Amino acid sequence: MQLSEKLISSFLAFELDNDINSPIHGIRTNAIKKFEELGFPTRKLENWKYTSLNRVIKEDYTVFSKKKNVLDFKNIKDYFIDNIESYKIVIVDGFFDPFLSQTSHDGLDICIMSAALNKPKYSKIIKKYFNKTANSEDSLTSLNTAFSKEGAYIHVPKNTVLEKPVEIIHFATGNEAALMLQPRNLIVVEESSEVEIIESHQSLTDNPVFTNSVTEIFSEKNSKIDYYKIQNDVVTSSLIDNTYISQKRDSDVKVHTFSFGGKLIRNNLNFFQNDKSINSTMKGVTIIDFDQFVDHHTLVHHANPNCESHQDYKGIYSGKSTGVFNGKIIVDKIAQKTNAFQQNNNILLDDKSTINSKPQLEIFADDVKCSHGCTIGQLDQDALFYLRARGIPKKEAKALLTYAFANNVLESVNIPELKYKVKKIIAKKLGVSLGFDL
Amino acid sequence: MAYTEEELKKELETQEYAYGFVTDIEADTFPKGLNENIVRAISERKEEPNWMTEWRLSAYRAWKKMEEPNWANVKYAKPDFQKISYYSAPKSKDKYESLDEVDPELLKTFDKLGISIDEQKKLAGVAVDIVVDSVSVATTFKKTLSEKGIIFCSISEAIREYPELVKKYIGTVIPPKDNFYSALNSAVFSDGSFCYIPKGVKCPMELSTYFRINQAGTGQFERTLVIADRDSYVSYLEGCTAPSRDENQLHAAVVELIALDDAEIKYSTVQNWFPGNKNGKGGVYNFVTKRGICHKNSKISWTQVETGSAVTWKYPSCILKGDNSIGEFYSIAVTNNYQQADTGTKMIHIGKNTKSTIISKGISAGKSQNSYRGLVQVNAKAENARNFSQCDSLLMGNKCGAHTFPYIEAKNNSAMVEHEASTSKIGEDQIFYCNQRGIDTEKAIALIVNGFSKEVLNKLPMEFAVEAQKLLEISLEGSVG
Amino acid sequence: MLSIDNLHVSIEGKSILNGINLDVKAGEVHAIMGPNGSGKSTLSSAIAGNESYEIDKGDILFRGENIVELAPEERAHRGIFLSFQYPIEIPGITVTNFIKTSINSNLKARGEKEMSASVMLKKIREKAELLDIDSKFLSRSLNEGFSGGEKKRNEIFQMAMLEPSLSILDETDSGLDIDALKIVANGVNKLKNKNNAVIVITHYQRLLDYIIPDYVHVLHDGKIVKSGDKQLAHELEEKGYDWIK
Repeated sequence: MQLSEKLISSFLAFELDNDINSPIHGIRTNAIKKFEELGFPTRKLENWKYTSLNRVIKEDYTVFSKKKNVLDFKNIKDYFIDNIESYKIVIVDGFFDPFLSQTSHDGLDICIMSAALNKPKYSKIIKKYFNKTANSEDSLTSLNTAFSKEGAYIHVPKNTVLEKPVEIIHFATGNEAALMLQPRNLIVVEESSEVEIIESHQSLTDNPVFTNSVTEIFSEKNSKIDYYKIQNDVVTSSLIDNTYISQKRDSDVKVHTFSFGGKLIRNNLNFFQNDKSINSTMKGVTIIDFDQFVDHHTLVHHANPNCESHQDYKGIYSGKSTGVFNGKIIVDKIAQKTNAFQQNNNILLDDKSTINSKPQLEIFADDVKCSHGCTIGQLDQDALFYLRARGIPKKEAKALLTYAFANNVLESVNIPELKYKVKKIIAKKLGVSLGFDL
Repeated sequence: MAYTEEELKKELETQEYAYGFVTDIEADTFPKGLNENIVRAISERKEEPNWMTEWRLSAYRAWKKMEEPNWANVKYAKPDFQKISYYSAPKSKDKYESLDEVDPELLKTFDKLGISIDEQKKLAGVAVDIVVDSVSVATTFKKTLSEKGIIFCSISEAIREYPELVKKYIGTVIPPKDNFYSALNSAVFSDGSFCYIPKGVKCPMELSTYFRINQAGTGQFERTLVIADRDSYVSYLEGCTAPSRDENQLHAAVVELIALDDAEIKYSTVQNWFPGNKNGKGGVYNFVTKRGICHKNSKISWTQVETGSAVTWKYPSCILKGDNSIGEFYSIAVTNNYQQADTGTKMIHIGKNTKSTIISKGISAGKSQNSYRGLVQVNAKAENARNFSQCDSLLMGNKCGAHTFPYIEAKNNSAMVEHEASTSKIGEDQIFYCNQRGIDTEKAIALIVNGFSKEVLNKLPMEFAVEAQKLLEISLEGSVG
Repeated sequence: MLSIDNLHVSIEGKSILNGINLDVKAGEVHAIMGPNGSGKSTLSSAIAGNESYEIDKGDILFRGENIVELAPEERAHRGIFLSFQYPIEIPGITVTNFIKTSINSNLKARGEKEMSASVMLKKIREKAELLDIDSKFLSRSLNEGFSGGEKKRNEIFQMAMLEPSLSILDETDSGLDIDALKIVANGVNKLKNKNNAVIVITHYQRLLDYIIPDYVHVLHDGKIVKSGDKQLAHELEEKGYDWIK
């Protein structure tokens, strides 16, 4: 049976497991209908022109696992950030793991979606925010909505500055021969509050894993969110990350995406500036090899005056890997005094690596400052030779140049321990030790 | 007084063209129109040798077969080439032993232009070759230069006195058939400057030429040829102004620069032709072909400040033929009212290890349109070519436009080509912000424009830089201290 | 110091301020709060002299002098400073050059001598340190490429350099994170003395925990509908703007 058929037919069983009187029921039903209508996207769709899902959806996934495996902390502690105090939301095979997690209800809520969707004390927030910014016309988003059950739920009330970041990790243990996961996250940060979030997906098995994730983020007035996505999974694991961010006036949201692992990664990152004086920043570093595939589709919608957006994506491709970058900026007519910057720089290390880059600017206001730049090139051979002539071995020299290339994205990571971790991952990918000083 | 958008625009529009006046001297003008006889007559009037006459005729015949180019991003009424007189010289003697012999009316003209000869004498020996309506009038300091073997004279004189040199180099950088306007110029050029710097000589002073278009309906066709022999150096300044006229006047000059091995030529221009009045009527059409060829280890820098002319079509270029040669282009182009400019540069990398730098600053105001068109071409054998281009636009107000068309054609993998472009705007918000900090509007505009243009102004020879700065301020608003 | 009497202001024919009365004495801090569209920015623009706004009726007296006919730079010369909600980018003028020109324009207007380079440099260093501004900002083009927080800190830096008699802070706290907010508030507090006055216009109560106001006024539909002391800000925070209506 095809995956889409399997999903549609599983829906009924899924709903029976959940409360039909839940306010989400109607939303879910509409969502599955939408998925039924559209199916998985194919290359005939403009937004999926360069990206085929065939090799991902051909597997026979279990669409929701029934049993959860138990994980020992010592086996997975490397996936957390070292030397840092943090809140933790750990989800294993689609189930919340209370032992590995560190949630909180102390003046704020850092907990899980299943609780939020079912307990009455969260219903006000759910009613106000759930599925309010996600794109219901998108089939993969609708698919996730139909099956939304578990994920991260973070609600920070007014004037609260979190002193610790929140780590969200989704694990797959290989309890099934092939597993499909659909986490659903909701993050609401109220007026003048600040939060840092680090999210990653980690498969601990060679069995194929397919994650279709949706994250909705609401950044209320004057709030600040720093969101870091670490995509360093194994080569049998694929991820479609749909993130929708709705911002109110004076808010400042930054999303950093580090894509190093996985078979196929598709990031749909959407910012909606629903007010004036908003700042949105999207940065990314992609370093992939073999036949990995990473696709960044970004959207910033400037709908009001005096807003700014900055996009900076760097990619390094070797082997037969493929990168896709599609950056869309929409500036409405009333969005005067918009400043929008987009930059995409790529290095192809091998003949068979490919990059497809497409900026799309739709500007309808006349008092704006918008720019976009794209470069595609090779590593500077002269620079490489210079470093080697000074005694630095070839691999280390390449690594150094790669760091230099990705530097201004790395530099804006505000959590030093995270920055260190990312550098370590890069070092490992490039086969060097972090011994030399960066 | 703070300005609203409206008042700001009005101030910019009503700036009087400071140099709008006419010299009332007898002129010797040919009847209008162009045909082979006119070409022969020009050659005869100038007492040219046969080979020159033939050269002109061949160019004329090629021109007849060509079509006027259409591709620039400018809109203008096409000039009627048969309605222009191709020769006009004030009826005075061609050469003067000393300045006392120069027509006093002419001298008064120079005064009004603010370039009194006396001043020039004081300015550390700038040799001046003044061209008024197609004929060189006075050349000072020739003796000082000739001691070093430097030849600096009018091209008409050079054709007579140094025919071998002229014959060797003229048309080698810009062949007559190169384009429509170069063909026209080759046929009917009336005068211009000729400069030759011998081997190993560093020219001790800035060489300078001034132009005016005086007679109504006279096109101005200068031809300039500068040759820097091996290991020599020359800095050449060219500046022009023109009086107010209602009909558009045509300026189709050709400038050829040849920098032989290890030589360096610095060519600076301040251009202020009549830009047309605030309704877009009148003004000069400026279609110029300027090109330099660089031999091994040589360098050519084009620096220009353009504030005039109704329509400008101008692309100073460098052919980097020799290995290790360097081409540079620094430009400020100001457009106001209804002016249109489609300018830029071409850097052609042919040799190995060649380098080019382009810094172009455009300031648009009023309803003007300012386009930058740059070509960086790296040929297949041009190993290790390096180029840096920076193109910045400053828009003043809401009704002007700035457009950038960078063309990068790199046929060699080792090429490193970088291009940056930025656009900024000065509107009433910026002016109000400065006002609130106690800075009045005039001063604010001057500050902004000077800050914006600094990089290019710094490249001009000092004497010129001061005039250029003044010119910028005049073109944009009232004079500022 | 500042006395606003029955001020009516409109822009492009639309009436925004409908009879503002406000008295600010030297040494005082006044806070003005209000929902979106209440006329907060219009008030600051009108005091500073932005000619896009028309004064239909009423007077603004600064130190006894009616300033409604004065140009913005003339008001600046008299000691009025506006920290802009959206500080403007001016490419081509460095931060240092701008502040130098501004200071000297003001001194010249008062018939005083221009400030010497060494005195200016010393002052710049001192104030930059106060506001935690890196020296590399001083050589950059004014506000070009600055983040929102950097732009606002730069505004207060200018305020520190110009030492105005009346400072109007138009939503200086909007978009600042808590650390930047503390630096800015600290800067403003250090500059306060019994001879100058500050009008703080804000959308968020939080700033007023750091810059303590003597008076709080609530603006609604172009009129000051309620005035009180700093308690009023807390009440507003709890009950929202609907309470005022």
